[in-house]
Amino acid sequence: MSQPWVSSDQPFRNTHDMFVQHQSRRFSVFNTIPRPSNIKCNLRELRQRIATVKNTQKITEAMKLVAAAKVRRAQEAVVNSRPFSESLIDVLYSINQQAQLEDVDIPLTNIRPVKKVALVVITGERGLCGGFNNFVLRKAEARIAELENLGLDYTVISVGKKGNSYFIRRPKVSVDRFIEGEGFPTAKDSQVIADDVFSLFVSEEVDKVELLYTKFVSLVKSNVVIHTLLPLSAKGEIRDGNGNSVDASEDEFFRLTSKDGKLAVERDKSMGKSDVFYPNMEFEQDPAQILDALMPLYLNNQILRALQESLASELAARMNAMSNATDNAIDLKKSLENVYNRERQSKITNEILEIVAGAEALL
Amino acid sequence: MTLNLCVLTPNRIVWDSEVKEIILSTNSGQIGVLPNHAPIATAVDIGILRIRLNDQWLTMALMGGFARIGNNEITVLVNDAEKSSDIDPEEAQQTLEIAEAALRKAEGKRQTIEANLALRRARTRVEAINAIS
Repeated sequence: MSQPWVSSDQPFRNTHDMFVQHQSRRFSVFNTIPRPSNIKCNLRELRQRIATVKNTQKITEAMKLVAAAKVRRAQEAVVNSRPFSESLIDVLYSINQQAQLEDVDIPLTNIRPVKKVALVVITGERGLCGGFNNFVLRKAEARIAELENLGLDYTVISVGKKGNSYFIRRPKVSVDRFIEGEGFPTAKDSQVIADDVFSLFVSEEVDKVELLYTKFVSLVKSNVVIHTLLPLSAKGEIRDGNGNSVDASEDEFFRLTSKDGKLAVERDKSMGKSDVFYPNMEFEQDPAQILDALMPLYLNNQILRALQESLASELAARMNAMSNATDNAIDLKKSLENVYNRERQSKITNEILEIVAGAEALL
Repeated sequence: MTLNLCVLTPNRIVWDSEVKEIILSTNSGQIGVLPNHAPIATAVDIGILRIRLNDQWLTMALMGGFARIGNNEITVLVNDAEKSSDIDPEEAQQTLEIAEAALRKAEGKRQTIEANLALRRARTRVEAINAIS
């Protein structure tokens, strides 16, 4: 529905001169459409603008370097979490081998007809990271629309300040809980989410839990993926939203190195090594209880990996955004300096002309 | 012949060195492990892990997980682990009180489950500090 808009600048032109004068005393005169690089042709203001742009450039450059350093730490965090996930996969595998677990019933692997889905949406804490948060939130909205079309109920668990503020502004999306973290994700942070998800699933409030996060592919590329977290398959497999199996025994990790003097990222696949398992291994409790204890560990591990990858993607996006901003600032400074110099020179030329003209008039 | 103990949490390695003996809390009671223990796999409850190094006992609070013992190699995988020396007594006591209050206020199956878990964890942390003193 379009309403005829009354342009707000027409009154300034068509009414009284007095009115126009009054207005133009309050604001600067905007007779023309402002050109992108310079509105004011005042030498002093140009100088100020150049100084501002230089400061901005320093800040964006610093932010880029900070983000680059943090990506390295994020990568180390992922490497530190590998012993745990490798041992866990070993154990799951060897237990599977040693006991017939087909008819063991554990609450977390309970496959029920799905009526309600919980969506864990992982976003960042701060802005200035390009399209990072936007991609995640757009995918979340798309998934919510899909679920609504399928006639399924849903609830959202939002992790990260950016996602929180987005969902707060949308009261029609039911949000279960807002979670905020700072800095690098720890086991305690993932425990909070894991507890929430665990209790939602076990109390049968939801029948399926999906994790929506950004997977780190390279320094310039990251994908937003949807992972089905629960119900777990007893062998430790996780199936993604389309039912394709994303097998857990293949592990991927990223590495930040330098190639040809520039930052590069290598991605390796490493198979979970099968440890020496002890043929006479006894189970202190029956296999159901042991698996009961293992599944939350696996849940915790998956959530932590998602948080870490999300953080790494956010840092890489920030690095890129700040790098672009720095380049833009450099270009802007160059064009401003050109205009400044031209102005300065024309002013000098005018002064010389005046002096010469005055001198000629005397002759 | 000494045992090699490895305590792993999802984001870091908490302990990775040799010990003389450990006492582990499991769902079916406490297990003491000495060198040359038979291979065994057990679930670990939210509770205290006691480690002995040369007649000195060290306590750690474990937040549930799994342990595999075999050939003098113990691997403990837990959701979270804290050495008792890293826990602040007052803060642990406060967390315990908050958890108890939350359990009393909890309504519905889901909040009760969450509150119960939080309470057990807080209690374990307080016990870990009291165990040495």
